[in-house]
Amino acid sequence: MMTQRRPDRVLGGPHDAFWRYCEQGELRMQRCGACQHLQWPPVDAACERCASTDVRRWDRLSGRGHLVSWCVFERAYYQELPVPWDTILVELAEGPLVVANPHGFRPGPALFGARVEARFTVCADGAGEFHLPVFALVEPPAPADG
Amino acid sequence: MRLSTAPAASAALSREVAVAGIGESDYREDFDASRGRAPDRRPPTAAELMTVAFERALADAGLARDQVDGLVWCTDPQVTDAPALLGISPPYRAQGASILPLGMAAGRDVIPTAAGALAEGRCATLAVLYTTTPRTTRKQFGGVTYTGGGRNSYYYYHPWGWSSQAAHWALMFTYYAQLYGVTEADLGRVAVSLRAAATRNPRAIMRQPLTIEEYLDSPYVVRPLRRLDLCLPNDGAVCLILRRTQDARTGPRPPVLLAGWGDAEVSERKLHHLVKDQLATVMRAAGDAALAMAGLGLGDIGHFQGYDAATCHLVGQLEGYGFAKPGTGLREWAAGRFDLGGELPVNTSGGMLSEAYMHGWNFIVEAVRQLRGEAGARQVGGLAAAMMAITTTESAHPLILTRDGT
Ligand SMILES: [Zn+2]
Repeated sequence: MMTQRRPDRVLGGPHDAFWRYCEQGELRMQRCGACQHLQWPPVDAACERCASTDVRRWDRLSGRGHLVSWCVFERAYYQELPVPWDTILVELAEGPLVVANPHGFRPGPALFGARVEARFTVCADGAGEFHLPVFALVEPPAPADG
Repeated sequence: MRLSTAPAASAALSREVAVAGIGESDYREDFDASRGRAPDRRPPTAAELMTVAFERALADAGLARDQVDGLVWCTDPQVTDAPALLGISPPYRAQGASILPLGMAAGRDVIPTAAGALAEGRCATLAVLYTTTPRTTRKQFGGVTYTGGGRNSYYYYHPWGWSSQAAHWALMFTYYAQLYGVTEADLGRVAVSLRAAATRNPRAIMRQPLTIEEYLDSPYVVRPLRRLDLCLPNDGAVCLILRRTQDARTGPRPPVLLAGWGDAEVSERKLHHLVKDQLATVMRAAGDAALAMAGLGLGDIGHFQGYDAATCHLVGQLEGYGFAKPGTGLREWAAGRFDLGGELPVNTSGGMLSEAYMHGWNFIVEAVRQLRGEAGARQVGGLAAAMMAITTTESAHPLILTRDGT
């Protein structure tokens, strides 16, 4: 399978931890020990909601969620990526909203609210190979369920 | 020097300070020159833009440059010695950290800070000057070269190929369209309507009439948004002369009073607030603060200008600040409620989509013209109070301006 070239990730500190878990096929986020809030994107030092510094625990998420929104780039912002380029917004079962790409489908009105689950696709950026979380439809494709 | 902490919305400051003079660069002529469409005119430099706006604002206020004892300037790219460029040496001077008239973050709001400086007697005649030259500097609003903002900025999503301010509004509108069953043609009505408004404004850059068919045939940037849903960068300058209200009353023009402002910002779960909440919570909080400071209700506002960097974002503001119920903005637009002659005329100058992308500074100028009764073919009748709002993808900053005596 060909490794896809992607624009550079943000790396360092908690970001490295996130990508290490992805390499193991796990979607994890920091959960605040004080208020239980899940942080996305990762925070360096303190909970984005309550400012507690107890944000060292990385909870494994189900990787399941549903399709909330999408947009398709017709103008190229990155030389690495072709257009049209599909991006989606997924609401994870645990609450956070994440920007990602669809895997094996193109988003559209018929899929609003469709159930999706995380897959990890092998990509490379300037820092080397990494496993990028993307989302596939849960089979069979669910009709819109809001 | 950076701006110090700006005063919070406070009834004590309401109507203490007024706009005594306005000045702008020639948006349309300069835009044509920058595109090589005006052979006898070269595009002005940032210094020339600043100078022309400043001198026009002084003339409008009936003042001489040596009467200016305060200067706040906000420029992109940054100009470190604006007073020297303008040939003045005001004792009070501050360089804005944000190029928005109502800031990006608490404590950086230019207009409230300027109002505070006047109210506290640190100066008596304050020029507030804004200049931007994105066409000259070829600023890009997305992609890997754009690294503005913090952790919550879109730089984080580079590996998924998601970038640009336009992409924020595209995600917002896709969700909104699915939730409320509106179409791209419904949205196009906003672009068509603002272009029609611009035809009544001789200063507007985009004055050729636009039909809904032309809109639907135009290219996408980020589906579902087209080029015509997004504002066009241009070079320009705006200058306001602010004075304490009793001083402004001695000038040649009716003073327009700064009656109320508000400020609210998303601090966590940015994508949730942006898409699922459509920023309604922050807009309502900031809008309520501005109305309370001004001692007015929503029904007292007769003219609204929302930050129309994107068509759908303007509709979101009509709903978020409470002028339309969620999901009904486009229907009310189609019914004519937000057109000139409707109940609440919106972005009457053509806005940033069709007049000029002046980061909302041109909204202050338009509100002043409307409240003075100087808006010509686009004048809103019997206007006493206008609201304008700077609304980013993570914050809300409304400002209410009123006619003297209201
Ligand atoms: Zn917390």
